[in-house]
Amino acid sequence: MKKIYSLSYLRQKRFSLTDMDKNSKSFISGKLFEFIEILRDANVAISVDEIITLFSAVTEVDLNDKAVFKQTLKTSLVKDYTDIPIFDKCFEEYFANRKHFFDKITEEDLKNFANNRNNNLINEINSQLEKYIDSLDSNILIQKSADDILRMFLDDLPESNSSGGGEGIGLFRSKGGEIGSYYSESDGSEFSQNNSEYLLSIIRNMLKLRVTRRNIGNAIKSREDFLLNRFIYQLTAQEIKEMREIVNRFGQKLKNRISLRKKRVKHGGIDIKRTFRTNLQYGGVPFKLFFKTKKIDRPQLVVMVDVSRSVNQYSRFMLLLTYTLQSLFSKVRSFAFISNMVEITDLFKEMDPERAINSMFTDVNFTYGWGSNYGRCFDQFIENHSDALTRKTSVLVLGDARNNSNDPGLNSFQKIYDKSKNLFWLNPDKKHLWDWNDSIASLYNHFCNEMKEVNNFIDLSEFIDKLFIDIK
Amino acid sequence: MFKDAEDVIKGLEKIKYIASKEIATTVYLALKLEKPVLVEGPAGVGKTELAKSIAAALNIDLIRMQCYEGLDESKALYEWEYAKQLLYTQILKDKLSEIMGSEKTLKGAIAKLTSTEDVFFSEKFLIPRPILKSITSNKRCVLLIDEIDKSDSEFEAFLLEVLSDFQVTIPELGTFKTNVKPFVFLTSNSAREMSDALKRRCLHLYIDYPTLELEEKIVSLKVPDGNQKLIRQIVETIQRIRNLQLKKEPSISETLDWAKALVVLGYQDLDPKIAMETLNFILKYEKDIQLVISQAKEVFIN
Repeated sequence: MKKIYSLSYLRQKRFSLTDMDKNSKSFISGKLFEFIEILRDANVAISVDEIITLFSAVTEVDLNDKAVFKQTLKTSLVKDYTDIPIFDKCFEEYFANRKHFFDKITEEDLKNFANNRNNNLINEINSQLEKYIDSLDSNILIQKSADDILRMFLDDLPESNSSGGGEGIGLFRSKGGEIGSYYSESDGSEFSQNNSEYLLSIIRNMLKLRVTRRNIGNAIKSREDFLLNRFIYQLTAQEIKEMREIVNRFGQKLKNRISLRKKRVKHGGIDIKRTFRTNLQYGGVPFKLFFKTKKIDRPQLVVMVDVSRSVNQYSRFMLLLTYTLQSLFSKVRSFAFISNMVEITDLFKEMDPERAINSMFTDVNFTYGWGSNYGRCFDQFIENHSDALTRKTSVLVLGDARNNSNDPGLNSFQKIYDKSKNLFWLNPDKKHLWDWNDSIASLYNHFCNEMKEVNNFIDLSEFIDKLFIDIK
Repeated sequence: MFKDAEDVIKGLEKIKYIASKEIATTVYLALKLEKPVLVEGPAGVGKTELAKSIAAALNIDLIRMQCYEGLDESKALYEWEYAKQLLYTQILKDKLSEIMGSEKTLKGAIAKLTSTEDVFFSEKFLIPRPILKSITSNKRCVLLIDEIDKSDSEFEAFLLEVLSDFQVTIPELGTFKTNVKPFVFLTSNSAREMSDALKRRCLHLYIDYPTLELEEKIVSLKVPDGNQKLIRQIVETIQRIRNLQLKKEPSISETLDWAKALVVLGYQDLDPKIAMETLNFILKYEKDIQLVISQAKEVFIN
């Protein structure tokens, strides 16, 4: 087998010495890796699994058909459909301007590429790399470049290899010398040199991806910590966008915990009626037992968000959170207000949060006169939406209680308190600023189960977590 | 099996499923690489239909599993029929003592019992559910896991294990493994995000609303009675309606309903008046209908 490839390779080499300077196999894989890097730069997450899939897929299709080629890349690399537009753009930028990518490559090249690809080999190298990088100190990863690490990896290989590495790694066994000249001497043919160069290019690229990914991972981690601890009302619009994912994850966790809690208390006593009835078919011997299920109420929530200017960034973030809560639990109703109370539940159902929030600020008429008017809004709520309140509802008010010296509407507020199970107020102002200037926080606080100073995400998540877990 | 992507298109067309090149490529690769496919896209674009059509085109079985909240292993994998097992033991009591009776020692009795043990633990008492069926059938089949986004994340984790090596362990019987991997199609309406681990194992296919040409082809194939002009008008109108900011955009199944209805009503031509009267075929919300009517001038320009 090997002989045939090396022959055909030599033949090509003779016919087109200049054109074939580049090894076509590593040429294609190089291009693919370059493209993967571009996608990753554009924030598309691509793991090694995806790369392996791509490499086995590419050889199965006709690369000269552009639509097929594009879909092959898309189907194996992009797993989140929101990334598809980004992919399309990258693809157009990268491949459309390079007509040569398809022209230069002959059938022969493709065949060569297909035949020389060895998935097991890539897999194996991959797992070796994984192990190796795990064994390294994380500081080394940040300090050294990918090439340095590659050299270290290759130097360390022969030792680890003796315990059984496989034929692929064996190519690098001859230690010493520079990168690029690692090839098995005993074979000696030009083919094996090219082959090992090809493998090397794959390893180098994989390592690069890996190292940058780890570093990026670290960067993301510290960035997240930064965002979580930041005062919410200082968040910029850009940062809020970034936090979307964090908020989402938090919501998902919360939901999982709730469903777990549900499972734990699944059993009530034996359901005598059902057990008897079902077991009649077994002559009354109770083979199958049925239990009464204990009912756990789904969290019922009414959220009211002050979206006035004094809390603008804060409310954007709160709306984002409200959106997440609403998409996770069926019984959440959301309201927004400045001087009018408006229900936004349906709006959130229809659109993604970014669009919904933007359209809210442009479309819906919140304002009547100047600034936020809590009293008026609570009155309106009691008048129009009091059906949202039941004995099981928890009400969350998010706002700074700066009422612009308007009537506080305490009557209505007390009604809300009376009609609901819990009433919580989350205040972004620091505690010593409550009651300062036009804030009437303690006036409302009197009717709340709790008013809490919440101005970063960690406090907030703790509060909501507690709220949901404690509901019984 | 299909030879290439083109072949997939042709094969599916025979079953009256018009596939775009993207769909065909992914399907071809999935079959070739034996990888599961995660199909996403808006409701009604033919995600489930795709899996069904592939089974039909390849003339193999389709095993379908509908996901829902609370779906667990006993519904997806297998259930052990304890009741039947117990009944058998009860009924066979006499027979048992007959066999045992001839043995004088306890040791001999146990040895005899052990030799017939597999009577009590056999596949007779196993109710296979879709996943086990797809593994034990030992023929190629299409396993359609529909609306995976409706299931819980615990189930997803369980599914991951199955999808990675198609091997299932049943405590009473041992391990089942298949030599012929089923073709797995997972569909999702993105009610929730699937985990990265699951996505990594699958090829990803996003089916969007079809292009004008493709949709026209689909409608003419599925509604053969309609004349070409009417179909063209319907599809053009639908495509324009999709560009509006609607609560629920009409998808292919709605287009087909509409086309069929108009044909049954005997219309040769889609004039705005008829179109507006029959909007309820394609729009499911009153608000959307109002919106389209208010934009009638731009939408119905035939």
